[in-house]
Amino acid sequence: MTTWVGAPVPRKEDARLTTGRGRYLDDIARSGLLHAAMLRSPHAHARIVSIDVSEAERLPGVLGVLSGAEAAAASQPIRPLIPTPTPLRDWCLAVDRVRFAGEPVAAVAAVDRATAEDAVERIQVAYEPLAPVVDPEAAIEPGAPLLYPELGTNVLWHDVLSYGDVDGAFTRADGVLRERFEIQRYASTPLETFGCIAEHDAGTDTYTFWTNDQRPGFTLAILAESLGVPQSRLRLVCPDIGGAFGNKRRPAYLLTCALLARKTGRPVKYLEDRIENLTALMHACNGVMDVELAYRNDGTVLAFRIRDIADEGKNLVSPTQHNLIKLGNIANGYRIGAIRYEPYSVLTTKCPSGANRGIGKPFMCFAIERTMALLARRLGLDPAELRLRNYVQPAEMPYTTPTGSQYDSGDYPATLRRALERFDYRGRRAEQARARKEGRLLGIGLATSVEPAGTNLASYELITGRRAASGSAEAAMVRIEPDGQVRAALGNPATGQGYETVVAQIVADELGLAPDEVHVARGFDSLGTPSLYLSGSYSNKFSVTDVGAVVGAARKVRDKALRIAAHRLEAAPADLELIDGEARVRGVPGRGLTLREIARTAYADVLGLPPGEDPGLESRHFHSNPLAAPVDERRRVRSQLVFSNAAHCCLVEVERRTGQVRILAYLVVHDCGRELNPGIVEGMVHGSTVHGIGAALLEEFRYDEGGNLLTSTFMDYLKPTALDVPDIDVDHLETPSPFTPLGAKGVGEGGSIPGPAAVANAVEDALAAFVIRSLPITPERVWSWLNLAGETGARRTR
Amino acid sequence: MISVRLTVNGRAVERDVPPRRSLAEFLREDLGLTGTHVGCEHGVCGACTVLVGGRSARSCLLFAAQLEDATVTTIEGLTPAAGLSALQSAFRDCHALQCGFCTPGMIVAAHELLAENPAPSREEIRAAIAGNLCMCTGYVSIVRAIEQAAAARRGGSLP
Repeated sequence: MTTWVGAPVPRKEDARLTTGRGRYLDDIARSGLLHAAMLRSPHAHARIVSIDVSEAERLPGVLGVLSGAEAAAASQPIRPLIPTPTPLRDWCLAVDRVRFAGEPVAAVAAVDRATAEDAVERIQVAYEPLAPVVDPEAAIEPGAPLLYPELGTNVLWHDVLSYGDVDGAFTRADGVLRERFEIQRYASTPLETFGCIAEHDAGTDTYTFWTNDQRPGFTLAILAESLGVPQSRLRLVCPDIGGAFGNKRRPAYLLTCALLARKTGRPVKYLEDRIENLTALMHACNGVMDVELAYRNDGTVLAFRIRDIADEGKNLVSPTQHNLIKLGNIANGYRIGAIRYEPYSVLTTKCPSGANRGIGKPFMCFAIERTMALLARRLGLDPAELRLRNYVQPAEMPYTTPTGSQYDSGDYPATLRRALERFDYRGRRAEQARARKEGRLLGIGLATSVEPAGTNLASYELITGRRAASGSAEAAMVRIEPDGQVRAALGNPATGQGYETVVAQIVADELGLAPDEVHVARGFDSLGTPSLYLSGSYSNKFSVTDVGAVVGAARKVRDKALRIAAHRLEAAPADLELIDGEARVRGVPGRGLTLREIARTAYADVLGLPPGEDPGLESRHFHSNPLAAPVDERRRVRSQLVFSNAAHCCLVEVERRTGQVRILAYLVVHDCGRELNPGIVEGMVHGSTVHGIGAALLEEFRYDEGGNLLTSTFMDYLKPTALDVPDIDVDHLETPSPFTPLGAKGVGEGGSIPGPAAVANAVEDALAAFVIRSLPITPERVWSWLNLAGETGARRTR
Repeated sequence: MISVRLTVNGRAVERDVPPRRSLAEFLREDLGLTGTHVGCEHGVCGACTVLVGGRSARSCLLFAAQLEDATVTTIEGLTPAAGLSALQSAFRDCHALQCGFCTPGMIVAAHELLAENPAPSREEIRAAIAGNLCMCTGYVSIVRAIEQAAAARRGGSLP
């Protein structure tokens, strides 16, 4: 029965979070806590000749200093999520070489943060600068400076993946559109920075970590391996997490604190400051994409050839994923017969690239949706009409793309039509024409997208040629306590998604309760929360795996409660129902047992249990989404499993004198299947769309030629404020997925994927004479296109 | 160490502080008022917003030692002994928060706005919170929540 799922239930979290009673990492106190600070490389690329920490160690209040060499002696290299072709050895601190400006070289633990930061300044490091390599295309060239000479190249992955008759399609085509697009480095920059506390209990030789790491399963495995400690002796706890968006993961910092804790015998805390966060945690991968599109003159898209260079920076945590993940939306919503994809995953001397809302897919969507806009222009077709001619049709669902993605459900034409109607597309076109006559630059941009959810880790086999981790799964627990009260926990720590509420809604429906009667544990605690290596908050996976884990655990415990009640009531379990916290015999009023009475039997009166029934009333469920499958013999793979879709419409005005772009109206129509909590879903759509707008108009991590980051504070790395973004209008269709237990699909990445393309298409439509090839579309750039025509840069955005 | 006397959330406080201790650190570490969050420490993000003499201020940019005789109000001081304030209820009802890290500062900024302007327009609301970054909500639901709270405080309801 579903009473609560689907209702916009106010969040359980909000009473504490609106009153300042949340408990984030920085709010955790530990007796004897030391504070760590890190010395970071001022060079993009250099050899470390020597380090002298003696002056830092002598500063009063300093209890321990850790150098890279000491870390390397005391721990093992950190294993990447996706193995590199040649095993590379990379410890929690740089050992003999630094590979980006901001890379940690040494760490200090002191009685307070200020003392630790003072001590860091006393560490003497002699560097021998090496040539940086900042541009990914230059990094591919023979003779480029190498980050890892033992690898012999900066290229971690280069391949040619060909699906269908690509060359035939290009031969048969009426025309070919060729374009080159670039995406900049940007990030979702959660408002709370990343950090951890590590504590070593010498008596039991166990370690406890408190951290806002969003992927505890993977991190626990790395910590065990790198510390050389059995995982049975590690505990990891996530408190409230102040946003994550993919960024919050850096096992190296946890290791550094653990080594300092072991050395000093005291708990050690490290929390990034904002400059460290912007300089060194994680940037969305920048890159260059060459797109060739074969088409017929009626607008039919036949095939794509795509060469995609992903700039990993110094990323050894999850290298190559920025290419791989694009297989999930390389066809976007279109029926495309053939695709050739040539990925390059390239190391450069910059901040590690990593997961950032949408990861790779915003760039993929940007390239495809920009190409579609240009094709519409070339053929003189309305951009909406061009898309409608190419969509996968609802009757074709589930539809398999050339690369093996299976679009499970959705009505792409209806989504766009709903958007056009609600946006008053025709009326706005007329408004645009009138404005043009007055000399005003109005533009309308459309972008439509598929939103993949739930990564199948088997897809990494495409790169490594062998299977390590695979599938898509999560774990959950539901327990009816001895007093009949219900508690649930999930292997995925919430980072703002309101899981305490949504999990309570799901469990409440399964057990015939109200959400207020279900206590859901905050965050994560490896001692009490069931988890997998795959556990965590990533890849939009809640609907794909987590819901199944919660439903499974709730049903197991419900079935057991009903078996116990049936035995006590001398009825058949099938004749019982759970309503309002009571197991009742259908049709027999007054004959029932409360959960409290059932729990009493389960925990205390165990001789009253049915024959063969174990005591206790707790169940754990590990849900693997059945769509996950290995790479097939044609190298096709479901890299992600369940697909939402959306249509974005954007109206902008460009101020001719200043180059300022103002968004006058923005509409999102989306379909994420069954909406478990529409209030939460709408917030995700708003938020993710603004991430897309920020990337389109404001945000950029800019590096100089020497590999120095020029935008390392919120004064020069600009985030959207309430004055920069419009009231986003949201409407939705609801096409449930047949492949998730409640029909829900992904919604977290949402607008971050088509948002940049929608805004760019609108600005290009306003400017008419220019082709936008890169982001962000800053006033400076727009002004120069409008006023410096004729110069070589005028048709390029940089 | 510098001795400082001030009023925090209606209570007199007297402490010796190091000269470089920020107001944010003082509130969080010396007084245990962890509802005030620190997001950037360079005065841009607004997470650490508190009221000093009724005006919003960045507690990361003030030194505790500057605040002799000042009256400081934090999110804890804007929270009723039981239940939620009108603003807090509206934030919950409108789903105006996700991770919640910006929320205390956002509510402090909204409180200042409504104290001066009980019926702000949408543009005035957006201007009032433009110094507070929210990375989760895209601001849409926050603006709605402040509108709803303003209406509730005026005793009316939104059309």
